[in-house]
Amino acid sequence: MGLDFVGRGVEETDGNIITTTIDKVVNWGRKNSLWPMPFGTACCAIEMMATLASKFDLSRFGSEAIRFSPRQSDLLIVSGRISIKMMPVLKRIYDQMPDPKWVISMGACASCGGVFDTYTLIQGVDQFIPVDVYIPGCPPRPEDLIDAVLQVQQKITSGASPKGVEVVV
Amino acid sequence: MNEEKEVEEQSKPLVLEKLEEHHADSLLAQDEARGTVVVVVHKEQVYAVLEYLKTDPELAYAFLVDITAVDNSQMESELMQFDYARFMIVYQLYSFQDQCRVRVRVPVHENDLSVPSVTALWKGANWLERETYDMFGINFEGHPDLHRILMPDDFEGHPLRKDYPLRGRGERERFNFDKQNV
Repeated sequence: MGLDFVGRGVEETDGNIITTTIDKVVNWGRKNSLWPMPFGTACCAIEMMATLASKFDLSRFGSEAIRFSPRQSDLLIVSGRISIKMMPVLKRIYDQMPDPKWVISMGACASCGGVFDTYTLIQGVDQFIPVDVYIPGCPPRPEDLIDAVLQVQQKITSGASPKGVEVVV
Repeated sequence: MNEEKEVEEQSKPLVLEKLEEHHADSLLAQDEARGTVVVVVHKEQVYAVLEYLKTDPELAYAFLVDITAVDNSQMESELMQFDYARFMIVYQLYSFQDQCRVRVRVPVHENDLSVPSVTALWKGANWLERETYDMFGINFEGHPDLHRILMPDDFEGHPLRKDYPLRGRGERERFNFDKQNV
């Protein structure tokens, strides 16, 4: 964490006052308190649980507040196989999340269908919902998920819009 | 001579003996697979045979382990055995009393896919028959609520049939999110 908006186009005066832009402060806040919405449908969800538990401890990066309501979360973690019967549910969950929202596609199945090249499995959720960060692996290790959260944080710091937002210039 | 005959009779499983005695007309074939008795039964009599296996106090095959089906459409040797019946419905039974299993198979032709439901004998048959209907399109007559259990309700076709393409017919790429009732 830390006041990392200081020193990047931000003036620090000699006293106890710093000046910055509202975007930078807001993004700093968003970045360090990403609230994940877990969408665990398979073994990747086990790794996600491990990531959240004490050993790997995702709360070190401010993302421990798991919300089981999409209306209270801003980071969707799709971890596992998504069948054609589950896809409308996932789409609905994504639609219910308030903007700005980010999506992590965790593991081979969520990203491309994995080994399940069959009639019932979605070959990559990015066909139907916008994905910001993909994690390879079957399943990925908790370190990989932490890395993905850090990449989302980096994206927020850089001021880039989430994949799901159409930027009107 | 008599001694030999006795030995032969003793080695025959009780279930086959009793089925031959009471349901000889229903049996199309009998076999043994890895210690399990397998009997092939005509579909008109399958309910009576299963009821007999369940209720006979000496046999007491009270537990219905599974109902499933096999699509033999690409197995010429299997098809020929029972007058080119495409599907084979399989009932797995277990007897807690004798701790042994029996498998009942029922050949079903493609042009008449109906089989009597056994939900009256085992309540657990409800979901098993729905799954077999969903995957193979077998119509279980007398089932209280026969509709899909695994695939979405608006799905077309029966995916475990051998002529269903493995990668589907494009349903995994096409979606009408408005139509789906979530």
